[in-house]
Amino acid sequence: MLVIRRRPGETLVIGDQIEIEILDATASQVKLGIRAPKCVTVLRKEIQVTRDQNRAAAQETSAPELDRLKKALLTPISGL
Amino acid sequence: MPEQPYDEAAVLTFPAGIPGFESATRFVLREPPEYAPVVSLQSIDLDLSFLAVPVGALDAAYSLAVNEEDLRRLGLPTERQPLPGADVLCLALLCAPKTGPATANLLAPLVVNLKSRVAVQAVRSDARYSHQQPLPGDAAC
Repeated sequence: MLVIRRRPGETLVIGDQIEIEILDATASQVKLGIRAPKCVTVLRKEIQVTRDQNRAAAQETSAPELDRLKKALLTPISGL
Repeated sequence: MPEQPYDEAAVLTFPAGIPGFESATRFVLREPPEYAPVVSLQSIDLDLSFLAVPVGALDAAYSLAVNEEDLRRLGLPTERQPLPGADVLCLALLCAPKTGPATANLLAPLVVNLKSRVAVQAVRSDARYSHQQPLPGDAAC
């Protein structure tokens, strides 16, 4: 992973069209400003993870799988 | 879309949809006793359905972290976390792939205001819980 140190007010660029500015930084949080073309999706990573997980979870589930899920959920954790 | 009739009281409204399905704003919640604790959520708007389980059935000590924006969307006070069972119903979406173990998404629980039936998928920004939490008894699959 490329590591770059920047201060508030400083900027970095990714390719020709994406610009990230450090707007503010505290001990626990960094505020970023992002300039990117409309075709580039910018998401917080956890939203992307959730979106992908939702798409995977949206598949149809048959009755045997439902039985399997129910069984899995009703098994006490100590039974592992 | 629902083929069986449904009760309006069982409809949950997600004003912003959920990530990946932003236009799915209304879901019918069904709780068939033969599959308890598993419940189903069927979209009224799209051909889309999910299975879910109350978060408490997986982790009795689960600690909610709903952000201010989501609390406002739910119409709940922003100065404290809602209480599951009293203020909100908290569901984890299940993912049951044909191969591989079934998992529950504890990173992004569905949080339903019990009074208004307005709901959000409250995505956590901390890394305290997994989006693919294995189910306790599904290790053999």
